[in-house]
Amino acid sequence: MSASLPILACFLAGLLLARFGLAPEALLRHDPTLPALWLLMALVGLSLGADRRLGEILRSLRPRVLLLPLGTTVGTFAGCALMSVFLVYSVADCLAVGAGFAYYSLSSVFITQYRGEELGTVALLANIFRELFTLIFTPLLVRLCGAPAPVMCGGASTMDTTLPVITRAAGTAWAFPAIVHAMVLDFSVPFWVTLFCGL
Amino acid sequence: MYIALGIMLCGMLAGRLLRGRLRPEALRRWIFLAIMLLLFFLGIAVGGNAQLVRDLPHLGGAALALALGGIGGTLVCAVLLRRVFGGGRGDRPHGDGRPQGRDGAPA
Repeated sequence: MSASLPILACFLAGLLLARFGLAPEALLRHDPTLPALWLLMALVGLSLGADRRLGEILRSLRPRVLLLPLGTTVGTFAGCALMSVFLVYSVADCLAVGAGFAYYSLSSVFITQYRGEELGTVALLANIFRELFTLIFTPLLVRLCGAPAPVMCGGASTMDTTLPVITRAAGTAWAFPAIVHAMVLDFSVPFWVTLFCGL
Repeated sequence: MYIALGIMLCGMLAGRLLRGRLRPEALRRWIFLAIMLLLFFLGIAVGGNAQLVRDLPHLGGAALALALGGIGGTLVCAVLLRRVFGGGRGDRPHGDGRPQGRDGAPA
């Protein structure tokens, strides 16, 4: 948790500053999230490239890595189907929201188009929550549930936003499985969302 | 998403070329600082979106329930897969059974 607290504090500080109008106007006008993400990705790439074990990691990749996106898909759908019992939305709507796998931009646009703005907003928030949860609790997840947990929890975000925090907490050996995991989920998002919205 | 991936690949190439001159500990510290910067900016983006902040109480509950449901189901599968991939920080993701040292280096 020691690494999660400063991360959570930074998010809350940004949120409160913006909420009470104390954030610099330039940061609100020109969203600096994307350049910050690119800086992170460059640093992660540097750390991976400088790692002498990179070749060994690449050679050791096995087809069983595909169990990660499979487990993420099955687990997410089971959890969202269970939650639909307690919500006003149908099982198909809940599965469509879950099928965003933290890819909130694409899934919320799809769902807004097919099912309206309300479910689209729910999808946006739910998938932002999932990404934030992964960013904040990755060190704790590694300790409690093992190294595959933050990779699977991060969904489609594990090849960009959450990759740095995952490699930092779980080790650089998890970078390539995380990228493969995200790529498979990334390509499956439009398929699943369209399928569930059409039910 | 793919631009970010491309930047990472360029970084990997640069890291490969600069191997031996870069200190892994310093890189890890810079990565942590960059993560905190990204979360700060993300907080500003969320807090600065009045519509998002207004809608949070109405739709946030359902969104949070679905997020937690998806995360919970995923974590159950992750715990089941832990046996296949190995569990702790730095473990090899493929469970090849070789003894492990700190940070994944063979002991």
